Amino acid sequence: MSHERGGQRPGLAVFARAWAKAVTGTSYLPVTPAQLEGFLEGLTVRLVEALYAEPFSLRRGYQIGADLVAAHIASAEGLGRTIEVIELRLLRDLGLSPTAPSADPGSGDDLRDRMARLLGSVAIGYARALRDRTLDEQESIRRAAMVAREQAEQALRESESRFRHQATHDPLTDLPNRALFTERLAAAFDRDGGSSRRLGVCFVDLDGFKMVNDTLGHHAGDLLLTSVAAKLRRGVGEHLVARLGGDEFVILVEDTTCTDDVLKVADAALAAINEPTVVDGQELRVSASIGIVERPVAGTTPSEVMRAADITLHWAKTSGKGRWALFDPERNERELTRYALSSAMPAALERGEFCLDYQPLVSLADGRLLGVEALVRWRHPQLGVLRPDKFIGLAEETGLIVRLGGWVLAEACRQARRWVDLSPKAPFVSVNLAVRQVRGQGLVKEVTGLLREHGLPPDRLQLEITESAMMNNADESVDSLRSLADLGVRIAIDDFGTGYSNLSYLRTLPVCELKVAGSFVEGLRAPAAEPASITDERILATLVSLAHTLKLTVTAENVETATQADRLRAIGCDAAQGWHFGAPMPPSHVDALL
Amino acid sequence: MRRPDWASATIEIDRPSTARMYDYFLGGSHNFAVDREAAQAMIAAVPETPLIAQANRAFLRRTVRFLAEAGVRQFLDIGSGIPTVGNVHEIAQAAAPESTVVYVDVDPLAVGHSREILDGNERAVAVQADIRDPDRIIDHPEVRKLIDFGQPVALMIVAVLHFVRDEDRPAEIVARLRSALAPGSYLVLSQACGEGRTSTEWAEAYAIYQRTDHPLHNRGRAEITRLFDGFTLVEPGVVWVPEWRPDSPHAVEEAERSIYIGGVGRLG
Ligand SMILES: C[S@@+](CC[C@H](N)C(=O)[O-])C[C@H]1O[C@@H](n2cnc3c(N)ncnc32)[C@H](O)[C@@H]1O
Repeated sequence: MSHERGGQRPGLAVFARAWAKAVTGTSYLPVTPAQLEGFLEGLTVRLVEALYAEPFSLRRGYQIGADLVAAHIASAEGLGRTIEVIELRLLRDLGLSPTAPSADPGSGDDLRDRMARLLGSVAIGYARALRDRTLDEQESIRRAAMVAREQAEQALRESESRFRHQATHDPLTDLPNRALFTERLAAAFDRDGGSSRRLGVCFVDLDGFKMVNDTLGHHAGDLLLTSVAAKLRRGVGEHLVARLGGDEFVILVEDTTCTDDVLKVADAALAAINEPTVVDGQELRVSASIGIVERPVAGTTPSEVMRAADITLHWAKTSGKGRWALFDPERNERELTRYALSSAMPAALERGEFCLDYQPLVSLADGRLLGVEALVRWRHPQLGVLRPDKFIGLAEETGLIVRLGGWVLAEACRQARRWVDLSPKAPFVSVNLAVRQVRGQGLVKEVTGLLREHGLPPDRLQLEITESAMMNNADESVDSLRSLADLGVRIAIDDFGTGYSNLSYLRTLPVCELKVAGSFVEGLRAPAAEPASITDERILATLVSLAHTLKLTVTAENVETATQADRLRAIGCDAAQGWHFGAPMPPSHVDALL
Repeated sequence: MRRPDWASATIEIDRPSTARMYDYFLGGSHNFAVDREAAQAMIAAVPETPLIAQANRAFLRRTVRFLAEAGVRQFLDIGSGIPTVGNVHEIAQAAAPESTVVYVDVDPLAVGHSREILDGNERAVAVQADIRDPDRIIDHPEVRKLIDFGQPVALMIVAVLHFVRDEDRPAEIVARLRSALAPGSYLVLSQACGEGRTSTEWAEAYAIYQRTDHPLHNRGRAEITRLFDGFTLVEPGVVWVPEWRPDSPHAVEEAERSIYIGGVGRLG
């Protein structure tokens, strides 16, 4: 029998609609019901063709099953319902009764047989296609998971590195920040490479940056910092440049071979910073100061290096800015000692660590002990006995000089009284007054109080005042000295000849003695024939005669040899002080001289 | 506040993903055992769940076809999910090949899979972003590359907002997205509605979704309708999704049990 085209069979649409209804809902079908029916009509035609094809071929059934899956009718239910609807309705709806007589070679039994084989092949094709589809989808979702995970990890890495960058860089200049610098400096210490490794640090601070900020505004200040940062980075090459904050930058120079390596970097940094910067249309020129430390890694620590650099930066600033300074351990040691001393002094005064030695002032005419100069000593528990040159300057800086001077004055008066009690030939005690003491309001009260307290005859007390204390002195100081002199207290000018040596005030001041600076006396040690020595002797002679004209006595300091003493005596100098006549000594030794 | 990008970029396949569960409901195999387990629990609670998902997907397909016929050539599909079958770009580009489509989803895996599917398609991209950060979506360079906000855009937010909590202010999110659109643009939106299902069913559904990447929040019809504020609803308005311009009358049977309601609104 020759087959009619499926579309012409009246039952075709009925069957396709039933099929469509059966599979609807078994999975999502991305088509309209009409499209689905149309598609299934086409498949129905192919089913009928497969049923009657000669020779019968399983391949047709496979293909139909695969095409169903390709059309997304792709689920176990989809297959089950398809087989059910075909088996139940295909022959009936299309009027293909297997029992009806026909001209076909196939009998009814044969057709039933074919139907079973066809359904089997559709199921096989369908199951295979569904399995492949499932595997493909699984593979693709796993691949997507893998890619997504990789991307997430990548994103995480990027954000971590971004985060790390933010955490280790200065947002304004994008230079490494203090944290990163500290890390790199520490790493430079930890890295092995032998104990001979050295490194250098330049601590850079802009000069007058605050002025820029104050006058041009913070915005201009920020622009300037950004520009300086860029110049520094360019100027110093591969070395790490970090911004520590404000206008402070630091350069790490690793693996230096000598100090010169860092100095070159510092010079380059200064040059780079000195290039003019245009900020908001204005050309700005800034300079910077740099503190430099360069040393072997062994034996130091990062924080020591940074502290040293900081101190050195301060030196560069105080020595005039626009320059670098190199760390000097000795200077640092000195400053540290000074600092330690000056901070220990108040407590030392409380604890009674200060004491007085006395140095004889002797008459050149007859060798009589005229007086003694009180010299303060600090019995430092660690450093031993310190002489005034080690701490008086510090006390003056900190202002402790007023209290310390007061103690000296009181102690000297107490001691002077003791000597008065011991001997009618008791020496006067000469006490150095600091400028601040002379200028202080209460000097007269203080001195009169002490004189009264100890019952000390005023002429047993001499106050030594430096020329400079007198020079720029206000009238009140002169007044208080005059009141003291009126009481009978001796007033001496110390170190005469080293300062301005203004003679006019000698006339007006209540002074009774000049102490001639040791440097003139020094000249008298040389053989008398030497021209310089002759000059000094003449100056001294002139001074002495001048002083005598003004009715002042003259004491020479630092007299160390008999020759000096003889020559001083020859020019008429009144008194002398110095090793030749006795070193400073404790008060008990003075007792013996009485 | 904008979350750092990497906070959302962790891949969790130990936890059920709503995108992959949805794929399972639609008959796809783009899912893992955890997803299937949660999906099956959902089917046990509400046996029609696959049919409901299919109905929603069919709604999406019909709306895209409608918009393509209305002349819209740009589609911004937010919460696009895993491209299973009947994807927006397939429908839109079949109707008009010049159509551009941007898929946006917060699920990195859904985005990864979309990229694979879209490989070689110059008029469609997938972007990973969170609908709760609408500015980021609007300003995203890849979005800008394919979508000209001066021209009409179909903004699709289909079966997504029930994954956005009230605290995240879904109405404001939609309003912000709307403000970027030119007149002639459309909003396509559907979301789970509390009506038509028992409280036991909802309780079970909540519990299941609580274990997934996006817990569930249904809303009332009035509230969902208000999401279309500023748009003019096209016929038939906000309805159960099977009722929206159905392909055949049979499709609307038992529509009130289909959980999702939705509609299409036109701007200007
Ligand atoms: C049910 S699927 C909807 C897929 C598709 N729109 C549809 O209706 O056929 C929900 C999708 O929304 C996504 N989604 C959930 N919360 C989201 C958010 N806050 N931002 C963007 N996408 C989100 C999920 O990852 C999931 O792929």
